[in-house]
Amino acid sequence: MPNYKLTRRDFLKASGASLFLAGIPLQGFTQDKPPGKISVIILEGGMDGLSAVPAFGDPNFEKMRGILVPENYLKLNSFFGLHPSLKNLSSLMASNNASIVHATSFPYKKRSHFEGQNLIQGGGLTPFSEKTGWLGRSLELAKIPGRALSLEMPLILRGYGENDNFFPAKINNSSKININLVEKLTAAHGKVGSDVFEKVKQKSLLTLENMPRDSQSLAEYAGKAMAKKDGPTASVIRLSGFDSHASQDDGNGNDHGIDLAKIDGVIAAYKRGLGGAWDNSIILTITEFGRTVAVNGTRGTDHGYGSAGIIAGGAISKSRVISDWPGLAKNEQYEQRDLMSTIDYRSVCAACIEKSLGLDHDLIANKVFFEPKLPRVFDYLFS
Amino acid sequence: MNENFRIAQKLGLMFRPEETLPQDIKGWAIKQLHAPSPSLGIGNVGSDVKPWPKIFQPSLDQKAVKLRIHWETIKRERKKKGGYTESAQRANDRDNLMYEKDILRFSHRNVYGSDQLRLRLMSFWANHFTIGSFDSREVIGHAMEEAILANFNDSFSTMLYKVTTHPGMLSYLDNHISAGPNSNQVRWAKANGEQAGLNDNLGRELLELHTVSPSANYTETDIRNAAKVLAGWGIDIKGNPLSSLMDQGGTTNLWDMYKRNWAEPGNKMVLGKTIGTGKGGLKQLTDFLAAHEHTVMHLSTKLAEHFVSDVPNKTDVNYIASAWRQSNGNLDQIHTAVIERAIASKEPKFQLPMTWLFQVLRLSNATYFMGWNEINTSNNSLKFNMQPMQIFDELGQNLWAERQPNGYSSKKEEWMSGEMFERRIRFADSIWTSDSQIQSTSVIMDRIGASKETRKLVESLHGMSSRSKKNQFIALMCSPELMGLENA
Repeated sequence: MPNYKLTRRDFLKASGASLFLAGIPLQGFTQDKPPGKISVIILEGGMDGLSAVPAFGDPNFEKMRGILVPENYLKLNSFFGLHPSLKNLSSLMASNNASIVHATSFPYKKRSHFEGQNLIQGGGLTPFSEKTGWLGRSLELAKIPGRALSLEMPLILRGYGENDNFFPAKINNSSKININLVEKLTAAHGKVGSDVFEKVKQKSLLTLENMPRDSQSLAEYAGKAMAKKDGPTASVIRLSGFDSHASQDDGNGNDHGIDLAKIDGVIAAYKRGLGGAWDNSIILTITEFGRTVAVNGTRGTDHGYGSAGIIAGGAISKSRVISDWPGLAKNEQYEQRDLMSTIDYRSVCAACIEKSLGLDHDLIANKVFFEPKLPRVFDYLFS
Repeated sequence: MNENFRIAQKLGLMFRPEETLPQDIKGWAIKQLHAPSPSLGIGNVGSDVKPWPKIFQPSLDQKAVKLRIHWETIKRERKKKGGYTESAQRANDRDNLMYEKDILRFSHRNVYGSDQLRLRLMSFWANHFTIGSFDSREVIGHAMEEAILANFNDSFSTMLYKVTTHPGMLSYLDNHISAGPNSNQVRWAKANGEQAGLNDNLGRELLELHTVSPSANYTETDIRNAAKVLAGWGIDIKGNPLSSLMDQGGTTNLWDMYKRNWAEPGNKMVLGKTIGTGKGGLKQLTDFLAAHEHTVMHLSTKLAEHFVSDVPNKTDVNYIASAWRQSNGNLDQIHTAVIERAIASKEPKFQLPMTWLFQVLRLSNATYFMGWNEINTSNNSLKFNMQPMQIFDELGQNLWAERQPNGYSSKKEEWMSGEMFERRIRFADSIWTSDSQIQSTSVIMDRIGASKETRKLVESLHGMSSRSKKNQFIALMCSPELMGLENA
C-alpha cells in the first residue's frame, strides 16, 4: 500500500482562493486530438459520501453515524476509509489509479432531486438555466463526438449535434433498420426531427452485437468502443438507487452496499473494456447532493449537501484523498444537518475535462460552467 | 389530420376503426370526462374484445391477501431443503403477484377502451404522482384506478389525499416506516436500543413535486413539519398478518392505515398554516396545499405543457388556473379548461412513446398485446411474445418501472434522441410484422385526413413488395404528423 500521507494540513484548502485561481490565458483548445477519454457515472438520488468514504478519523464520526458506520471498511489512511463494497476501487487506490474528493458538491443547496439533477448535468449557475450539458459543451469546444449509454439523451451530453446515444434494443419481430426508409423520414421531418433521424441512419450502418443489459456490461462495451481508433471520447452511465432514506444499512451491510458495489463494478468493467486505453482515461462520478450527517429515524439519511466524488483511471498518477475537511460536529455541518461542501465539484469536472479533452481551464470555466473564477484544481488530481 | 383526429391525438388515443367519429369534437371531448368504460381486453390473441374477468381485477383487500400468501410461501419454501428454488419462485410469482396482469390490463384499456380521454388524463396524473418501486408495484395499478381515475369527478384535494394516503405512495417514499420524533414508537425503540424516527422523503416530495413546487420558497422546517404530519401513515404492504394490522392501525384496510403510536403529537406549522394533531391533520394539510396558489400555478402549467404545448403561453396557463380557482379545484372544471385550451391552440404536441404506441395500435387495429390467459406462458402460437413490462421498458416509458419521483417530462427535448426514434421505427415494424390483419396504410390515411406531406412521404416508399408496404406503414407512424412534431 502506498502512503497517502493524509493529515489535516495536507487537505486541499478549497476556501483559500489562491490555491485554485489558475490565471492561464484563454486560448481555445490546446491540442487537435484530445489526449484522453472521459466517462461520467451519474449516481442518481444523492449519494451518501460518508457511507462510501467514511471519515472514521473524525472525532464525531462514530457518534453522528451510529448504525451506518460500515463494518470492515477498507482503510485508506489514518482518517478515511472505503465502504467494503468498493473493493476494486480500493485496489485502484493502492495502484495509484484512483482518487477521492470529499466534502464536495455542485453549488446547489436546496436538496431537490429534480433541481439538483438538472444542475449537475446542465452545469449552469442555477437549475434549468441551461438547455445543454457541461459535457456536451465541452465536447463541442473540443469538436469531438460523445455517446450516452441510455435510452434517452441525458442533459449532460446535450449541446453538440453529433452526440449520440445508444442502448441495445430487444424488440421481437423487428428487423434491421432500412436505410432508404430512414432517409425518407429524415427528409420529411423538420429540423428538430430530421437531426434525430440522421443519427438513426448513422446507427443503422453499424452492426451491433447482442449483449446483456446490466450496467457492468454496458460499461465494458463503452470501454471497448472508446478504446478503438476513432472511437467515442466520452461516455455517461447513470446508476440509480442512491436516494437512501431508509434501510441504508440492514445490519449485514447488504442494502446500500449493493448500490455502492454497482459503482465498483462499473469502474472495473470500464477498465476491462478500455484495455490499453485505460492509461489515458478518466472516470468520474457525479451526484446531485450528499446527505444528512446524522442517521434519520429509518436507518437512512435524508437529502443534504456535501458528498464525495470518485475519480478513477490511468490518467491519475498518484492516489489521494483530496479534501478540506469541514468536520462533522453539529456547528461544522451545513445548516447543522448536512456534510458541508468545501470544494466546488465543478472544479473537479473542469480538471477532468482539461486532462481528457485538452481544453484550457479558463475556456472551460467561461464556456462550459459560465463561472470565470472557477478554481483550478488540476494539480491536486493529476500532478 | 382532420379536426377529429388532431384533437384525439392531443388529448386522447385516436379513434379505433369501429368507433363512430363525433360531429362535435369539443362536445365529445368534454363528455368523455363523464363516460367511464369497463376494462376491455382480450383473453387470447385473436379472441373477441370483452370486459376483463373479475378474478383478474382484485380489490385492494384481495391483493393484500395474495401478498400475504406470497410472503408466507417464500418463508415456507426457504425453510425447505434446497431453499427457495427458481421454479418455486416462478410458481409463487405467477399465482400470487398481480402486477404483470395490471400492466396488461392497463395496456388493453388504452388500446380497446372507449374512454380514451380519461385514460390520457389518468396517465398524466399517474406520472405526476409517480409511484415506482419494486415494493409498491403490486398496488400501482390500484392507485391509478382508485386514487386517481375514480376521483376525476371530484376535486383535486380529494385526489391528493387519496394518493398521499395510498399504500403504494406511502411505501414508495418510505413513509410507512417513518415515526414522529416524540412518538411512543420512538420512545419504546430508544428504551430498547433500537432505531426509529422520522424521514422526510414523502414530506419533501409532497411539497416539491406534488403541490406547491420550490417556487413557494418553503423551508427545511416546513418539510420536516410536513413529514411530522405524515408520520404514522402507512404500513409494510407485504407480509403483515391481519392481527398486526389491527394492532397497529385499528383496521385491516391498507388504504386507511394510521398508526397512532407512530404519530407525532402536537400541532405542526407548514407554510404558515397550523395543522392539528392526530389523524385528521393530514387531510387538513393536503386540503391546504391543494388550494395553495403555488399549487394552482404549478399544476396548471404542467397540464398545459402536457396537453396544449411544450411552451404554453400565459393565456393557456391562466385560463386553466382561473378555472381551478373559480371551481375550488374541481377536476371536471380543470380538465374542461385543459380540453378547451388544447383545442384552441394550433400548436402540435409531441406524443410521448407510450401514448404513441397506443395511438398506432388503435389506428391500425393491430393485436399486439397478448391476452390475459397468455401472460406468464410461453404460448408458441403467438407470433409475438413480449411481456407488457418488456414492451414499455424497450419504449423507454414505463409507469411500473423503478424510477425517481419526478416522473417523465412532457417536453419533447427530453425525448429527442436517435435511440428513442429508432425504437419507434422498430416498434412500428414489430407491430406490422406481428399482425397480418392490420389496417392498410392508405385506409388509415384517408380516415385521419393525412396531410399532403405525409402522403408524399408514404408514396415515396411505394413498391409492390411486402417490405415496401411495411416501410410505408412505418413511415406513416413515424411521420412528423403522427409523432406530433408538425401540424397538417
